[in-house]
Amino acid sequence: MEQLLSYGWTTVALPLAVAVVVALTGRLTGRLTPYVAAVAPAWVLLYGAVALSSAIDAPGVLASGRTTWLAEAGLSVGWAVDGLTALMLVVVGLVAMLVMVFSAGYMAGESGLARYFAALSLFTASMSLLVVADGFVGLFIGWELVGVCSYLLIGFWFTKPAAAKAAVKAFLTTRVGDVGMLLALALLWREVGDLSYEAVFAAAGGIAPGVLTAASLLLLVGAIGKSAQFPLQIWLPDAMEGPTPVSALIHAATMVAAGVFLIARTWPLFSLSADALAVTLAIGGFTAVAAAAAAIAQRDIKKVLAYSTISQLGFMFAALGAGAWEAAVFHLVTHAAFKALLFLASGSVIHGSGTQDLYEMGGLMRSMPVTGVTWLLGAGALAGVAPLAGFFSKDEVLHAAWSADPAWAVVLFVASAFTAFYTARTTRLAFFGEYRGSGHPHEGGLDMRAPLLVLGAGAALLGFFGGPIAELAGGHHGELDLTVAAVSSVIALVGLAAGWVSARGATAPRDEAPYARALEWGAAGWKADAAVDSLLVRPVNALSRVLDARVDRGVVDRLAEGSAVLARRLGSGLAALQSGDAQWYAIMTGAGAVALLALVAYLGRGL
Amino acid sequence: MSLLVLTMGLFSLGLYGVLTRRDLVAVLASIEVMLGAATLLLVGLAAAGTPAGPSEGAVEATGVMIIVLAAAEAAIGLALVISVAKRFKTTRVDDLAEVKG
Amino acid sequence: MTVASLIFILLGAVATIGAVMTVFARDVTRMAIGLGTFLVAVAGFFVYWGATFLGVAQLFVYVGGVLVLVLFAIMLVHRNPEGSPHLETRHDVSALAVAGGLFIMVVMALRDDVPASVDQGISSGPQELAEAFLGPMLTHFEIGGVLLLAVLVAVVVIVGGEER
Repeated sequence: MEQLLSYGWTTVALPLAVAVVVALTGRLTGRLTPYVAAVAPAWVLLYGAVALSSAIDAPGVLASGRTTWLAEAGLSVGWAVDGLTALMLVVVGLVAMLVMVFSAGYMAGESGLARYFAALSLFTASMSLLVVADGFVGLFIGWELVGVCSYLLIGFWFTKPAAAKAAVKAFLTTRVGDVGMLLALALLWREVGDLSYEAVFAAAGGIAPGVLTAASLLLLVGAIGKSAQFPLQIWLPDAMEGPTPVSALIHAATMVAAGVFLIARTWPLFSLSADALAVTLAIGGFTAVAAAAAAIAQRDIKKVLAYSTISQLGFMFAALGAGAWEAAVFHLVTHAAFKALLFLASGSVIHGSGTQDLYEMGGLMRSMPVTGVTWLLGAGALAGVAPLAGFFSKDEVLHAAWSADPAWAVVLFVASAFTAFYTARTTRLAFFGEYRGSGHPHEGGLDMRAPLLVLGAGAALLGFFGGPIAELAGGHHGELDLTVAAVSSVIALVGLAAGWVSARGATAPRDEAPYARALEWGAAGWKADAAVDSLLVRPVNALSRVLDARVDRGVVDRLAEGSAVLARRLGSGLAALQSGDAQWYAIMTGAGAVALLALVAYLGRGL
Repeated sequence: MSLLVLTMGLFSLGLYGVLTRRDLVAVLASIEVMLGAATLLLVGLAAAGTPAGPSEGAVEATGVMIIVLAAAEAAIGLALVISVAKRFKTTRVDDLAEVKG
Repeated sequence: MTVASLIFILLGAVATIGAVMTVFARDVTRMAIGLGTFLVAVAGFFVYWGATFLGVAQLFVYVGGVLVLVLFAIMLVHRNPEGSPHLETRHDVSALAVAGGLFIMVVMALRDDVPASVDQGISSGPQELAEAFLGPMLTHFEIGGVLLLAVLVAVVVIVGGEER
């Protein structure tokens, strides 16, 4: 078994090969395509599990390999597997596999499935690369590739304008973050000369504080983009235009977690900058509460989950900022389980009831029991109900925040309250009460139910593995803080009750209701899109109009045309010399002769 | 020095005429002026006793040769002018400049 | 002022007037007269300087031959019932510049090589001429003959050929 570990690069190569195969043969394999593609994440999972079992006993790097490409420049690409990597591989592999199986049912009958599964496989490969990379170069390559896959998958139904726009928006917004990351890499490369983790972490102590903070903050910018934190959160709600399984995999469990992973992975560097940590805490806290508030106001079930994801990622960032990166990783793992579960369950709901609007659902617990029960497990975990997974991981996060900065801890408690609120509200609106829609809701097939059950088990049980997870991540595990646990449980119950009650009417709030305006703002994500539009989009458009008129047409075109005009004038001017007038030629000859004489005189005797 | 100025002045006058006159015959006449001026300079230099030159007989002989050449050139030139005038009915330079073929 | 310089000035003036008339005259006849004047003045210079044979040759060939040729050409070519035709000059700054430039250049190039006065003259007569032509300049002499023959034939061809 141990021998397997030396083939770590296959976690990237195999999914890549599968992606190519699926892309080429997808038409032929038809209904088997999802299972062909699922080989990729299955392998990643297998490898990850083996690595995990080895890593529990032996901390540190288990296996590694490196190419010599650009090695002298310090830009080599290689892989290294340690506990954290193994953990991530298991998460990625398992969730990806379950998503592919789920997609077999959810996406049945859609066209372009070869493209779909090829992109999912490519995503698996990219995510593997991101987590197994032994240096920033490999990380960055994987980072960019997952962004590409996200674009491809959000825009899967590219004929739908909203989807195409959402894909571009996602790509561009994360790109903004990527610029920051690239600058960080440049900075580090200049300081250290070698972008492998080994080299950078070894040199971290010697880097000047200012540079260190700058690099850390720039890495944070990259993480903010990928993990949809403020102010780059605007792409995630729109990304819900993609198929729901995609949302489960990419925008809940894995890609968005890459930001958290980044900071966890570069902890030896990041933790040295107190300023960067403070900023991370602030951003995480603010995003957590603002997104949770926005989630309350949504009526699309997927949008609720999207804002919820943003909020939960905020929790993870806050944990990082508070210095408890093990807590962040723990929450990352539990969140992957219960959020993927919630998304897939919502996919089942959408598939079965034909709508995404909460006000057109209701009573689905009766018509879709498996979905309903597993949803409850996920929702409970999200709200932090003991003894489900989310309770334990959130507890650690809150504990860490309280130790670092009580003010932000309070903010996170408020966010927890909101979380419970929207969770209960959504649950009641969708699964309880009378059915308000017009279709015939039904449960999905086995391929859709099985993943739900697996993830449901995870949401229920993962909480007890906090210790091993923390050790795998390379840190230590704090004991359960009973005070925090008690407070958060009370808050959760209060929030749940309030949310439950608010869903009683099961109708959209009337326009005259006092909180209608706030709801409208919340539903629009606190008008973030409008802000971006007026702050960025309008000025840029205006500027480009001005530039087009003044510069492009005024200067550049004039230059281009001007050179043509000049050539023409020069040509016709010179043509006049060829007049056919012999005397004119004689004048020219004479002039030449005089000039030559003058030249000779000047050079020679000096008249 | 005065010889030089006079001769070169005459030469330049003739040159100006060659470059500027609008009638073929006039151009030919100006060419004759140039030739005459050049011969004048040649013989004048000899007459001024420029040392290390050819023998005086050679100078005079050269002068005769120049005259021969001038005559030959004038003959051919004027023959051409007559031929052109017969063909194109004009000896105006401006009109002839447009002629093709 | 010596007699020599007076004669020089006189002859020079006549030559200049003749040249100016040749180059600038509007009237063909005036141009012809001007050319004739110029050529005679040049012959006068030759004689004054002692190159008698040359001066005579100048008169015979140039004035008696070339000038007559020009006059015949004028008569043949300019058949204008309204009297003598109008000759134009296209005055041109560039032509002036070229002519003037050449003048300046050559004068400046040669001024140191020209002796101050032209008083000595040459003493050359048929004897010396013959010695030159049949001596160092024999080639020139022979080629000159051939040239004249060729010109004779050429003229007949150019002018007479088309009427066959």
